[in-house]
Amino acid sequence: MPKSQFIDPAQARAKGKITFGEIPVNAYDIPFENAMKHYSSEQLVRIYRDMQVIREFETMLNLIKTTGEYQGIAYNHPGPAHLSIGQEASAVGMAHALEVDDHIFGSHRSHGEILAKGLSAIHQLDDKSLMGIMERHFDGAALRIVEKTNKGDVKDLAIDFLLYGTLAEIFARETGFNKGLGGSMHAFFTPFGVYPNNAIVGGSGDIAVGAALYKKVNQKNGIVVANIGDASMGCGPVWEGISFAAMDQFRTLWEGAHQGGLPMIFNFMNNQYGMGGQTRGETMGYDLLARVGAGVNPEMMHSERIDGYDPLAVIDAFNRKKKVLADKKGPVLLDTLTYRFTGHSPSDASSYRTKEEVEAWQQVDSIRSFRTLLEKHKVSSAGKLDALDEKIRGLVKKAMELSINDEISPRMDITRQPELIGEMMFSNGSVDAMEDRAPDVLMPIEENPRVVALKNKERFALDKDGKPFSKVKTYQLRDGLFEAIIDRFYKDPTLVAYGEENRDWGGAFAVYRGLTESLPYHRLFNSPISEGAIVGTAIGYGMSGGRVIAEIMYCDFLGRSGDEVFNQLPKWQSMSGNIIRMPVVIRVSVGSKYGAQHSQDWTALTAHIPGLKVVFPATPYDAKGLMNAALQGTDPVIFFESQRIYDIGELFHKEGVPEGYYEIPIGEPDVKREGGDVTILSIGATLYTAVEAADILASDYDISAELIDARSLVPFNYAPVIESLKKTGRIVITGDASTRGSFMKEMAQTISELAFDEMDAPPVVVGSRNWIVPAHELEQHFFPQAAWIVDAIHEKILPLQGHTVTTDWSDEKILSRNRKGV
Amino acid sequence: MAEAVVMPRQGQSVETCVITQWLKNKGEQVEEGDLLFSYETDKAAFDESAPVSGTLLEVLYGEGDEVSVLQTVAIIGEPGEDIAALLGDAVTGAAAGATAAGEPGGTATDAAAGATAAGEPGGTATDAVQEAAAAGEPGGTATDAVQEATAAEAGAAAAPGKQASRTRISPRARNMAEAMQVDIASVRGSGPNGRIIADDIRAAAASGSREITAAQASSDGRTTPAATGVPGTRQSPTQATPTEPYTDRLLSNIRKIIATNMKASLDNSAQLTHHASADARKILSLRKAIKEGTEQRLPGSTTLNDMVCHAIVQALVETPEMNAHFLGDTTRTFSGVHLGMAVDTPRGLMVPALKNADRYTLGGLGKSLRELAESCKEGRIDPDLLLPEAGSFTVSNLGAFGIEMFTPVLNLPQCGIIGINTITHRPADMGDGNIGFIPHIGISLTYDHRAIDGAPASRFLQKVCRNIADFTPNF
Repeated sequence: MPKSQFIDPAQARAKGKITFGEIPVNAYDIPFENAMKHYSSEQLVRIYRDMQVIREFETMLNLIKTTGEYQGIAYNHPGPAHLSIGQEASAVGMAHALEVDDHIFGSHRSHGEILAKGLSAIHQLDDKSLMGIMERHFDGAALRIVEKTNKGDVKDLAIDFLLYGTLAEIFARETGFNKGLGGSMHAFFTPFGVYPNNAIVGGSGDIAVGAALYKKVNQKNGIVVANIGDASMGCGPVWEGISFAAMDQFRTLWEGAHQGGLPMIFNFMNNQYGMGGQTRGETMGYDLLARVGAGVNPEMMHSERIDGYDPLAVIDAFNRKKKVLADKKGPVLLDTLTYRFTGHSPSDASSYRTKEEVEAWQQVDSIRSFRTLLEKHKVSSAGKLDALDEKIRGLVKKAMELSINDEISPRMDITRQPELIGEMMFSNGSVDAMEDRAPDVLMPIEENPRVVALKNKERFALDKDGKPFSKVKTYQLRDGLFEAIIDRFYKDPTLVAYGEENRDWGGAFAVYRGLTESLPYHRLFNSPISEGAIVGTAIGYGMSGGRVIAEIMYCDFLGRSGDEVFNQLPKWQSMSGNIIRMPVVIRVSVGSKYGAQHSQDWTALTAHIPGLKVVFPATPYDAKGLMNAALQGTDPVIFFESQRIYDIGELFHKEGVPEGYYEIPIGEPDVKREGGDVTILSIGATLYTAVEAADILASDYDISAELIDARSLVPFNYAPVIESLKKTGRIVITGDASTRGSFMKEMAQTISELAFDEMDAPPVVVGSRNWIVPAHELEQHFFPQAAWIVDAIHEKILPLQGHTVTTDWSDEKILSRNRKGV
Repeated sequence: MAEAVVMPRQGQSVETCVITQWLKNKGEQVEEGDLLFSYETDKAAFDESAPVSGTLLEVLYGEGDEVSVLQTVAIIGEPGEDIAALLGDAVTGAAAGATAAGEPGGTATDAAAGATAAGEPGGTATDAVQEAAAAGEPGGTATDAVQEATAAEAGAAAAPGKQASRTRISPRARNMAEAMQVDIASVRGSGPNGRIIADDIRAAAASGSREITAAQASSDGRTTPAATGVPGTRQSPTQATPTEPYTDRLLSNIRKIIATNMKASLDNSAQLTHHASADARKILSLRKAIKEGTEQRLPGSTTLNDMVCHAIVQALVETPEMNAHFLGDTTRTFSGVHLGMAVDTPRGLMVPALKNADRYTLGGLGKSLRELAESCKEGRIDPDLLLPEAGSFTVSNLGAFGIEMFTPVLNLPQCGIIGINTITHRPADMGDGNIGFIPHIGISLTYDHRAIDGAPASRFLQKVCRNIADFTPNF
């Protein structure tokens, strides 16, 4: 909500109408004999070759899946193979127009795009670069394999490398492009500009936008293409990605070199089916997919339907759209019409379409048609093309032989190295800046008004007499976050932060207040209310090489970014074979006071997903130290904050919050108060409830409680907790999450396993009720209270002399609640 | 007005008692003070007399039933009197038994009773309703509470055996008990649902307690010998079915405990016995003087046993290492002498402890020891005084039976026990080359070599003998 843009009621309320321009449909009509003049024969034959390589490669997979052999070689591939036989011209046309620095993101059906873009890059790269790329990829593991049998030049070698690396990946071999951890639907190879393909329909729809954002913010060459299917137009994240990419602010508010639209093409590979659902005529209502562009922005996204069965039409379109992007007028929507002859997957009996329909498209098969033209116009001869076909069959056969040979292409030996995949879940890097250049900032950090203001704050909450300073004087938790974040903005030029109300507002909870003064728009901006795209773009930004803080304003909105948080963010580091790093911090603010959809602690949902680090600091000292650690790292961190305590001062770290830089290692719990009789392990802001309970235990029952603040959920070092238990033998685990399925329960179980013999009672979880969060005035009946903790200790662990309970912890009550599901 | 007879609580550690015998039958007239029934704890046996006169209207438990203390066992009143109110309370217990025995789907009353029997919070159905209401449970209607009570009952019914006899103990407490050699069977749990927790073990160890291991429990005679000869297999003569008439009698609780403790003592300590004798002339003459009335400072009932005990107490005061418990990794010495005394009772051996025996005069000591012995014989002894941990040293006197020497068995975790034997005449050098026969009283000291070595133990025995020979009582 920039003040610079005045919303004039007279203008806003004035009568008018919206008019739409025309959207071209298959407008390309240049006859081949004219078009061929713009290409060399070599180019035209290469287009044919690339299409034929894809066709042969996928035919091989299809035969393996359907007949168990190819060219007499038997093989069983139990994994997926979503083939694009019939769609080759679309992939090759696109790739032919792209440069190495242009990055493509794909779908589950992207073998063809990998090969097309790879072949295009191989053609463009010089031998030295190619050798370097192949040498560097896992220390030349795949190169060593293909160079043994290759007799040709470097480009031939690189083609073998491309076919082999892709196929070994599909067959889950350790020598594959991603160590076999990605497989058919996720294979990619970034040095050729092939970024992750995505098994979730439309998954690339917002991730690719983040990659385009990275190019714009960091002024990198090239464009980004999201190759997604026509059916993905029904997916929310795709719409969110489009909204994000089309934001006005790129043109209206971003300045200088950063001004202008994103270099982004949403290329809908429109094979006209979403699995078995016909998008046009059945499951969607757009008639022609390209129409959607008309509603997005005044430029109508430069939308076009193009004939994906004519490679030259596709090349023509991409060349024209690249010009649009170069003029900073993106994003662009392309509706690339195509058709697959094979089913959605090998199990697809194509019961949803007729044989006649498939045959009609086979009649206009792009490869056969293009070959006819080449022969007709004497670009090449039937004999030469037959020889080329035969050579391609040889290449594919060789790639298959190599990649199914267990000795040459072994799978990961998890038996011998049981922790191998485990060790790949996190990159655990420690990197000051993702790139070495001066950061774009608007003033020296010392002059930032909030930095100046913080100099006068009390960095420990209590004065000499133990009395708290006033809120205004106190250095608060939000200040700890701010200090860590602004410090990184001045260290790492790639760092960007965005989310809802992040800029002028300073974030809904004033963590970012003061950042606006220091940072240009392209480093700190407001996003659309699109949690999916907020996280999705952060993923694309991170995997492209930048560092990013995305904000989810309320934990309750995490569901809106479900696929991004659960399926994308956690997985790409390991699915890439550790080629990708993911320095993405998602700040998630846990609310209260605002009822059932604004007050939930969903830490357990994120902690459950392998591949995410999860922290939840509760003090200014920990908040700053953990944010520093999160921003120094290279892993995705879900950074929970509690709205209850943004204004809390430092009550535990006696020296106060240091002004300088320090890190608190992620995964280390902290003993906040020592005690001998019972341990209370708290998650997040519930620390302060635990303090209250400990005070009651001490004053009323002479029980000394040891308070441990979990600080992190994933990873988590249980050793200090076990140490504490050796002393106390008793533990209560408390947090604001609804009890059932909470991380508290996870901890209770793990503690039982690790310290059973130390236990004087079962670990007891004191969490929130399994209800909706009621209104603020009733919250004390929902969130754990100090009295509940005392009651739980009395009832479950250690009867307290003279204690009267106010809550029911009986076994019958627990049984009854579980029976009722509440 | 009818009156309920309840199972008395015998000591803090007692939760349940077993009725061993009904001495009156239902419908019989009883007078106040008439013995009604006998019962026993795992430590001691007792008799309960009628609190009022009247007709024994109802007998709620049979012989062999285990009954929670303070539970109504019988009702005395006038024939035809309405005892429903008293019975209602009592039936709670009886119904609980029936429910626990597996009668799913009881009424709300049954259910609540089940909860009570299982030692769960809840009380009666009415209580459950009140509790639900008190807990402020939204929607907590009476129906809910009844449903929950039914659930509790279902849980109780599902649990096999008697809930009351199950030992709940935390893993930490169990480990501590093992390390500190605390017998968990004798520990009362103060945790939720009566769970034994670490504090209980600590407290038990502090008050003295000892271990009975599972191994001994299984070797205390419960192993079943082959009762009948299997054709073709060789049987040892003892295992063969006896052809003579014989009687099998189930062991009483006390017998079981004695058996377990004795075996545990021999299994778990390094005990050995030294024998010596003390010149008894001085105590004999003192006894004579008392009998003849020339020693007025002492009551006429003062016995030789009292004097020897007194001498032993004096020696213990000077030998703290003998007045001690051996606790595995620690020894615990006591500032006072808590003298255990083996008492022969009709129900078997009992060893009550006289606390702070060192503070008594000789006369007081004798009186107190006799009182203790009497209360054992009459079954009114405080069971807590029967715990091995209650004493710090024990004396057993078999002199009256003419026993000249024996090897008393240690009352673990105590480190020593003295057996007092009969008086015999021994030749002694009377000076001038004359040999005379001097009366000597035999003293047998069994001690735990884990705790104390042979020389100091012998020195202690010497000291006891010297104290007897030069007997100088505190008057």
